[in-house]
Amino acid sequence: MMELLQVLVTMLIFPAGLFLLANAMIYQWIDRKLVARLQDRVGPPWYQPLADTVKLLANEEVLPHGVNKWLFIGLPIIGLAGALTTALYLPIAGLPPAYGFPGDLIVTVYMLSMLTLCLGLAGANTRDRFSMVGATRTLTQLFSYEAPFLLALLGPALAAGSWQLSDIMAYASGNWLLFTQPIGFVVVLIGLMGKLEITPFDAPEAETEIVAGALTQYSGRGLALFRLGQWVELVIGLTMIAAFYLGGIHNPLDYVIKTLFPLLIIAALQTLMTRLRIDQTVGMWWRYGALLALVQWLLIFLMGGGQ
Amino acid sequence: MKLGTLFKDAWDALFSEAATEPYPNPHPDETERLRGRLRWNPEGCTGCSLCVKDCPAAAIDIFVLDKKAKQFVMRYDIGRCTFCGQCMQSCRFDCWQAANDDWSLAATTANGFVEYYGKEEDIERVLAGPVTDDPVKV
Amino acid sequence: MTQPANRKRFTVPIGPQHPALKEPGHFAFDVDGEIVQSASVRLGYAHRGIEKATESRTWVQNLYLLERICGICSHIHATAYCLGVEKLAQVEVPPRAQAIRSLVAELERIHSHLLWLGVAAHESGFDTLFMYSWRDRETVMNILEVMTGNRVHYSANVLGGVKYDVDDQQAATIREGLDFLEERTLHYLEVVSTDSLFLQRTRNIGVMDREAAQLSGVIGPTGRASNVQRDVRLDSPYAAYADHPITPVYETTGDLLARFVVRLREQLTSIDYIRMLLDHLPNSPLTTRMPRRVKAGEAISRVEAPRGELFYYIKSNGGDMPDRIHVRTPTLCNIASVAQLVIGQHLADVPMILVGIDPCFSCNDRTSVICQDGQRDMWDWARLRQYGIDHYGTHYTKDLG
Repeated sequence: MMELLQVLVTMLIFPAGLFLLANAMIYQWIDRKLVARLQDRVGPPWYQPLADTVKLLANEEVLPHGVNKWLFIGLPIIGLAGALTTALYLPIAGLPPAYGFPGDLIVTVYMLSMLTLCLGLAGANTRDRFSMVGATRTLTQLFSYEAPFLLALLGPALAAGSWQLSDIMAYASGNWLLFTQPIGFVVVLIGLMGKLEITPFDAPEAETEIVAGALTQYSGRGLALFRLGQWVELVIGLTMIAAFYLGGIHNPLDYVIKTLFPLLIIAALQTLMTRLRIDQTVGMWWRYGALLALVQWLLIFLMGGGQ
Repeated sequence: MKLGTLFKDAWDALFSEAATEPYPNPHPDETERLRGRLRWNPEGCTGCSLCVKDCPAAAIDIFVLDKKAKQFVMRYDIGRCTFCGQCMQSCRFDCWQAANDDWSLAATTANGFVEYYGKEEDIERVLAGPVTDDPVKV
Repeated sequence: MTQPANRKRFTVPIGPQHPALKEPGHFAFDVDGEIVQSASVRLGYAHRGIEKATESRTWVQNLYLLERICGICSHIHATAYCLGVEKLAQVEVPPRAQAIRSLVAELERIHSHLLWLGVAAHESGFDTLFMYSWRDRETVMNILEVMTGNRVHYSANVLGGVKYDVDDQQAATIREGLDFLEERTLHYLEVVSTDSLFLQRTRNIGVMDREAAQLSGVIGPTGRASNVQRDVRLDSPYAAYADHPITPVYETTGDLLARFVVRLREQLTSIDYIRMLLDHLPNSPLTTRMPRRVKAGEAISRVEAPRGELFYYIKSNGGDMPDRIHVRTPTLCNIASVAQLVIGQHLADVPMILVGIDPCFSCNDRTSVICQDGQRDMWDWARLRQYGIDHYGTHYTKDLG
């Protein structure tokens, strides 16, 4: 009985459920507030993401003509579930991960990609032209940043000699990989920006060209779930960066400080850059991103980090 | 190859007060020439109604009750006014003035947008119904 | 790549309602993947019937109606109208009034170009530049408020002169603001011409060489970016430009970058010009007497609006209302070039190319009724209204039903 209760709490409240959602909203707000301040604006009040979500959930969900109903309704749920599941293997809020098994790093990375995949499918599912173009761009972008992102994330795994998140984190606690693998850190951070589709990688949802990209036809609940999924991904991504590169996460305070640091960098980069065209995004990732990740690997091997 | 050319601006912005201001806020410094709500001064008015003819928005109307006794009623519709200042220009006796401290005129209802200027008994007479003297129509 | 002729075209519609457009216009782009194959433009969603409306208003009332054709270049519309009517009425406007007209026009140009910079940056996804340029635009709007009392519809003109003078204190405020604006403009010029990410979105995009520009009749800063050396302020000087010629700005490359650079450099020349005008303001009254009825006749007046040449045709039959006023705004000349410029470009660059000409849809929308039976007839308000009701009734209820 206690075990079942524990599982339920893990799934629904901490770390994967309500806590993560609240955390995601606060981080989303911090990001928006930071960008606003960098742009000399006031920015939204702290409850804005919550207000947005509540409002969207209360709105009617319009089912457009010509879509597969089950896909249309199911994709946001699967996407958000994928993002939430990853939290089980990560030290959210500085507490040890709830679960873990050898190779959970790969599962985590693929779970994160699930949301992007769902987004692409959701766009392709509707007959709207903006959604179609947006879906094409989303999936194209997925193929461009995914490989360098994964290659760079494997750097810490190589150094630690394990593909289990908890082992890597244990290794990273003693070694600040930010200093031993700086290139990997940069690639992962920028890869996270690509994953979250924030400037300069927001071509898939460039509002001045294709309205809202793949999500153009979504309203109400579906839109809220997709948005929540993206916000959760922000937190997961930041936690991974903090745990791998910034000397591990040991307590809640550690968690807050070490995740806010990369968030600040992301907000600054987002402010200072213009949107890239999708062909430029792909070119950049394969020309520089993949190359940098491989150079990092080479360095790890040369320095004898690989085991 | 140059990246982040706006870095210094962003840095400055982060540590300065935001450029946007909340609304409603008191206007920081009202400019002298700001054209706000119109004020009518009956002293000089001769009832020539040039201002009424020139008003591009038909926002003002003058009721001439008795030209010799200077009995005029001015009707001013703030909802129609475009604050162009042509009435001030057209009047040869400087009867119109735009208040530079009374500019926040938005309201949720149209009530109170129409104002009457003049002696109280004259206004009552105008409001009561058709007046004997032909009012000037726009 | 050759395509089978029967392949279904994939058309991306932009507008009439679209986040890239702040005003309604319709563009249909046929795309192959991300590359635009053909484009068509349709206008007329914001037709307001202003030309017709001028015929039932007095000369004075029309001044304010025409000023409201455009929110950004309101002063230049009023100036063009005043110059035309004054020509018809054979009224000589005092030199100080002419100088102040030019002064406000140049301030308005700075305002318009800063606004455009923000919009264009936003289209490319560079929201930070958008925010900063609009923040700095407040400075020039405040200057205009100090000078004329309003931030948007300045209403500085009256027939036969201007309403507002510039005293020493205001001149000092203007100079102070201009110093700040000059510094910022130089900074933005550096940003748009050196930021390598932004250059990727502007350099060699939407290239229009001089010949193509002249063929499609492009005017204003858009033309000057393609080295079309035309500027009404030089070619046919009005207001103060006859006494004090302006330095023109030309670029040769004709791409989006050139359109950015031309507009920013024009801001700098405007700033210099305003300083010069403030130094050389002639002494004279501000207005001259203007008759309420204008002599019968026709006049045209041309001025350089921030977006290009603005043309007014004014006809009077001797009454206190005009017989006919025709307005041709610069966007009408420039908009056709968009349909050619976008072909072969990426879909992602389309909004920037579109905004590159600084379009103002509401300004240029107009109606032409072609009488096929050769009969000329005049439509009155009632008939126009009935036509509108019938048109929308048949077109739109069908779609909805």
